[in-house]
Amino acid sequence: MAELKVREIQTLNYERPAIQKGYANQTLDVDLSDSKIAVKPVSEKMKEIFVGGKGFDLWFLWNAVKGSTRWSDPENALCIASGPLGGTPIYPGSGKSIVTAISPTTGSVMDSNVGGYFGPYLKFSGFDALEIQGKTQVPTVILIDGISQQIRILEVSGLPSDAHEISEVLTNHFGQGRPRNISVVSTGPGAKHTLIGCLNFSWYDAKRSKIRLKQAGRGGMGTVFADKGLKAIVARWDTVTTVTNNPVDEATLKKVARLHSQEIVDQDPKQNQMSLVGTAHLVTIMNDYDLLPTHNFRFGQHPQAPKLGMEVYRALFDKGYDGCWMGCTLACSHGVKDFVPATGPQKGRKVFVDGPEYETIAGCGSNLGIFDPLHVVEMNFYCDTYGLDAISTGTSIAFAMECFEMGLINKAHTGGMDLSFGNRASALELLHQMARGEGFGKVVGQGVRRMKEIFCKEYGADRAIMEDIGMEAKGLEFSEYMSKESLAQQGGYGLALKGPQHDEAWLIFVDMVHNFMPTFEQKAEALHWFPLWRTWFGLCGLCKLPWNDIVPADNKQTKEPAKVMRHVGWYTQYFSAVTGRKVEPADLIAMSERVYNFQRVLCLKMGFGRREHDAIPYRAMGPVTVEEYESRKERYDKQLKETYGIDVEGKGTAEKVKILRKLREERYEQLKDAVYERRGWTKAGIPTLDTVKRLGIDFPEVLDVLKAHGVA
Amino acid sequence: MVRIGNREFAWREGVTVADLLKELGDPYPYAVARIGDRLISRPDFDKAAVPNDSEVFLIPLIAGG
Repeated sequence: MAELKVREIQTLNYERPAIQKGYANQTLDVDLSDSKIAVKPVSEKMKEIFVGGKGFDLWFLWNAVKGSTRWSDPENALCIASGPLGGTPIYPGSGKSIVTAISPTTGSVMDSNVGGYFGPYLKFSGFDALEIQGKTQVPTVILIDGISQQIRILEVSGLPSDAHEISEVLTNHFGQGRPRNISVVSTGPGAKHTLIGCLNFSWYDAKRSKIRLKQAGRGGMGTVFADKGLKAIVARWDTVTTVTNNPVDEATLKKVARLHSQEIVDQDPKQNQMSLVGTAHLVTIMNDYDLLPTHNFRFGQHPQAPKLGMEVYRALFDKGYDGCWMGCTLACSHGVKDFVPATGPQKGRKVFVDGPEYETIAGCGSNLGIFDPLHVVEMNFYCDTYGLDAISTGTSIAFAMECFEMGLINKAHTGGMDLSFGNRASALELLHQMARGEGFGKVVGQGVRRMKEIFCKEYGADRAIMEDIGMEAKGLEFSEYMSKESLAQQGGYGLALKGPQHDEAWLIFVDMVHNFMPTFEQKAEALHWFPLWRTWFGLCGLCKLPWNDIVPADNKQTKEPAKVMRHVGWYTQYFSAVTGRKVEPADLIAMSERVYNFQRVLCLKMGFGRREHDAIPYRAMGPVTVEEYESRKERYDKQLKETYGIDVEGKGTAEKVKILRKLREERYEQLKDAVYERRGWTKAGIPTLDTVKRLGIDFPEVLDVLKAHGVA
Repeated sequence: MVRIGNREFAWREGVTVADLLKELGDPYPYAVARIGDRLISRPDFDKAAVPNDSEVFLIPLIAGG
């Protein structure tokens, strides 16, 4: 590797404030265009309205961009924040960061959450959030050194391009012999050459002496980062204890943290065993319930799916503690040690692979018709090291494969590659091409929405069928769950502010399997409460997994088991113990509701955020093709007869596909109406004046945006 | 002998997860059962034979994602 050459561009010495009640009470602003570094105060009003984390990010983003700002404009602000509870080492899942920016794939507001040590280290260094604007032509590293109380903008040449190598080199360079003090944010070459770049956030695994990576995957945050000319952001911080976050009531914090930690220790072995297998347990379960996407979401089940099941990955995962933040008892960030890739620049070398998790297994495995667990591990490794979102990569390749099989594209377009489902070599080659910015991989790396455009305009492919099977909404690729048979999950995907990512609402089981919400009103209520509750984790610097992936033994006897209200109560105590704000569960929802509606208005400001933008492809709602209908004929015939009173006798499959489609599309529109009403939005999907006033976000600039869209 | 939580059941040849749930008298719609490292989903409860000397974990599965 080339020797690192470091040139000082700008340095700011600052006085690190003491953390008070979970807040540093100031933020850091870096403008790369003119190498300016500024420290800004956080007002009490800002904390009251936006809480922290994603709330702070969105406030900065609002102030940074105009309605006409495009993702690659210098004013686009990449914001990273922890939250007031972030960095607590004794409460499970308290190390998350959240990243926001205008997305290259959606053109609108994106948020993406991630583990690793960066967010807490940023805060303990003195900053509740980091905002980066501007662009630079030189390879730039920002160092936030909370120990020496310096912010430095550095030109660093000689850095490698792959994320694993960048993280290692910079950890060694800045760690001064203490690698645990360093967390690096970086991306990789794929981010530069595609629109689906991810960010890698590092944490040092002391027991394995390894630098581990977690990803802020969704919506091209890595692409924005690379486009700004950034190579890395490094945070340096020292020891973390419970008092580092300076909670108001340490005794209560310790008590509630112990309760939650102990429950995970007691119940996880009896429930999902996430501390052993992460989210890999979901693969066969999803398959059993016809929910595992296979062959570009055509089907939800495949006989070979057990080859990708948890028993296989349990054997592959390296044994040991895998918490992506200190002290987390859920510790689900598993990895494969000494994996030897069969292709690409690391071919034949031993590497450590962080993952795979369920999404990567489904996205880069079953959804491509590939049921080889080692292939998934290799895709996982290269997605991370190239800085590519494994979900968008999987869903985009799946779309290209189906187009190839349908004859919409052919070998003349793919550079001679056979893109049939199940072709492992082609899937990996596409990934390597994405990283190099070459060949058909470069086209696939534009994501599904732009592929549809290119295939139609340049290759003459049929637009209508691609609109039906291209699994994107708002420009973001779907994450890896089948929603055809769950209307609530169709809403969970379609009505999510940033696009179809399940982190707003994952309602498949409670809706379809448990049938906890049979009416439109109940679904609408769920699509109000769950996105708001899940938003709250992003405001505070928390991971949502400890909330409902392990539940109390008697949870099923509670009134609303899906909400896991005992845990909600614990989070309420946790928030009060750190911040000193006395709150009830309803207050946590109210915090989220402010930020959620503010985000919707920000989407509106950017030219999105209306009813038409909440559309989803028909593949997410029902069977597009005769083959799909025939494969679940009994189910669909029964629904037509029993739910809709339609006589199916004598009708051909194509006719039944058409009838079912009309009914399901109408149902989705009815759901939109019910959800908008519950959320306090107009029929056009815009927050009403009463709603923004009730929430206290009726700032003049918000009212201006609403007025421009006919809400006054 | 088969264990579910703090209850024990006499094992018999061919006993399934569905049989045990009936004996347990718990009406909750469990989505998944786990026996050792083996996951069994509800559609297969009546087909999945439970081995002797095993512990069955009933998983509500409300989460995911």
